[in-house]
Amino acid sequence: MSLFLQLLINGVTLGSVYALIALGYSMVYGILKLLNFAHGEVYMIGAFIGYGVLTAVGGPAAPVVPVWLLVIGMVVVAMLGSGVLGVIIERFAYRPLRNSPRIAPLISALGVSFFLQASALLLFTARIRSYDTTEFISLGTGVDIGPARISLVRLLAIGTAVTLMVALTVLVRQTKLGRAMRATAHDREAAAMMGVDVDRVIVATFFIGSALAGAAGVMVGLVFGRIFHLMGFVAGLKGFTAAVVGGIGNIPGAMLGGLLIGLGEALAAGYISSTFTDLIVFGLLIAVMLLRPRGLLGTPAVDKV
Amino acid sequence: MKSSPRQSLGVLVLVVVAVAASACGGGESTSTDDATAVPADTDVAMTAEEPAGPTSTEAAAASSAMASPTATGAASGAAVDCGGAVGVMGPFTGDAASIGQEQLNWATFALDRFNTDNGTDFTLAEGDTQLDPAQATTVAQQFISDQEIIGVVGPAGSQEVEAIGPIFDGALAFVSPSATSTDLTDGSIEGFFRVVPRDDVQGPTDAEYMISELDAGNVLIIDDQTSYSTGLADSVAQTLQDSDVTVDTDSVNQDQTDFSSLVSAIGDDVDVVFLPWQIAANAQVFAQQMTEQGKQATIFGSDGLFSPDDFTADGAYVSSFAPDIRGIPEDEELVTAYTEEYGEFGTFGPPVYAAMQAVLTAATTTCEEGEPSRDAVLAALPETSIDNSILGGTLTFDSSGDIEGADFFIFQIQDGEYTLVQ
Repeated sequence: MSLFLQLLINGVTLGSVYALIALGYSMVYGILKLLNFAHGEVYMIGAFIGYGVLTAVGGPAAPVVPVWLLVIGMVVVAMLGSGVLGVIIERFAYRPLRNSPRIAPLISALGVSFFLQASALLLFTARIRSYDTTEFISLGTGVDIGPARISLVRLLAIGTAVTLMVALTVLVRQTKLGRAMRATAHDREAAAMMGVDVDRVIVATFFIGSALAGAAGVMVGLVFGRIFHLMGFVAGLKGFTAAVVGGIGNIPGAMLGGLLIGLGEALAAGYISSTFTDLIVFGLLIAVMLLRPRGLLGTPAVDKV
Repeated sequence: MKSSPRQSLGVLVLVVVAVAASACGGGESTSTDDATAVPADTDVAMTAEEPAGPTSTEAAAASSAMASPTATGAASGAAVDCGGAVGVMGPFTGDAASIGQEQLNWATFALDRFNTDNGTDFTLAEGDTQLDPAQATTVAQQFISDQEIIGVVGPAGSQEVEAIGPIFDGALAFVSPSATSTDLTDGSIEGFFRVVPRDDVQGPTDAEYMISELDAGNVLIIDDQTSYSTGLADSVAQTLQDSDVTVDTDSVNQDQTDFSSLVSAIGDDVDVVFLPWQIAANAQVFAQQMTEQGKQATIFGSDGLFSPDDFTADGAYVSSFAPDIRGIPEDEELVTAYTEEYGEFGTFGPPVYAAMQAVLTAATTTCEEGEPSRDAVLAALPETSIDNSILGGTLTFDSSGDIEGADFFIFQIQDGEYTLVQ
């Protein structure tokens, strides 16, 4: 029982990271029908921006600001930075190709992905960096839940993810921008005719999706410590899988998918063997695709006339 | 989302500053264009409690290493009219640059001392391999066509040795200061020597230490699915099982960032977790997640985790193919001289010194009319014997090119410092 609880905690932590990444994939796909394969790299850059903030305020051992302010600063600056990066990517790599065949922006996305990876290699070298979170948030602090314990830094990460997801839901459901986003996702041309500024909506979508990935990058840095220039690839793949499992284009679906993938990974590693976690996770993807080709919460295709 | 140009500019500046800070943040990233750069791990303060290796007690040892070539009876002490170039291959730039720079510094240091002590006129030819077999073959072709070069020290990695074996093809002797893969000295590579022990020594050494010193009754072995890792995992498991120790196995992959669920599954009855990994930062995360979940098992890492910069888990053990020469009394003068000139060093440098010594000694003893030949160096190396070697004891090669009586050493991390325990 204690093992199960501990694995749940591990799985939810991992799941909230995947969910944040999946949201960016899903939102962009929902509006542009584009798989933004550079999304994993945006997450990687977010992690490095957080590291930059950490270094700028004196490093993990002796930050000149209080720890709570440091963490908020890292998350906020990384979100802004990643968001702007997402907007730049959209402007220069996707917008010129918006009316091209769908394969063109896909190739462009792969190109951007390699470009960002190589840039990070040149800028930061291949050395693995560490947030050294234990220096400013003690490993020992945490909350005991029965026989298992959840450390403060995990609580922080899960809390941040939940807050961001609630905020996103409110934004999409209740604001003017959210309504415009839903309208654009439903039918871009019709939305434009109704007076929605489609370009602005697309820019906003890229900004929000990329900002969430940036936050995920900082969370991974805080909880798991190590960041490096290739970290975006596997995380991006898992985030994409989560988006597809939940039903790509569907926002609650991305959250559910992320959580399921995280939990699946944790339970597989704990109960079966960590050798086969990826096998099990991608097996889950295949199973969902066979039973529900549009994902768990995906809506059936509607032919547009 | 509409924002004024001024706001956007502000955000952009903020981000650029953050990225720039991140780039500089590493601080200690090695400057690769400066041959005398201090290796990244300058804060390695390895303390040794006892002399490592089979130290010779002979008093003569004060000037231990670069004594004159005593090998096959050349005139010692007197100036020898001899010259030529020694090729040095190593990862001087790239991911492993901190290792390569240390190796290059030690090679230069060895060359200067040998020339001074023996009045010889040898020079160094550098070949940067970046720890990449493809790059190593290019360097090997340059070396083989450069008639000045009479012997080679390097390359660093086992996979590079395999790649350049067919190019040298027994025409040029090469002595590696760090390639430990067992197969290299099975006779398939001609002219190859090394001054470090084989991996099949490491497994049993580590396993026996776990049994005798750590009283391990139950060991969990986690490989990282590379050939280095699985080979070592098998070798340790074999020795442990022969002594009736319970062994469980699992594996991870090198890109993994989270090990917490694997850590959760570690039972309370596990005494030792053996990690034959090559990425020290991964082991650091693993160790932190064990602490986070209150797991008590002792971590034991292979030589791939020997990295005082990145792996500092208190109480963990790490094995190494080279001793800490600061613990060898005969090396005191050498350590001081090196540190004064180049700064701190780790375990990758001193074997380069030993390899240089072997090649230079073989060259000097076979010098005819001031010119040693490649063939003569190749023939002399197996006969070469160096008293009071920097690595402790007498250095000689066996018929397959391995160093005789080579041991693996075991360190424990205590308060962030690597301390020699065996």
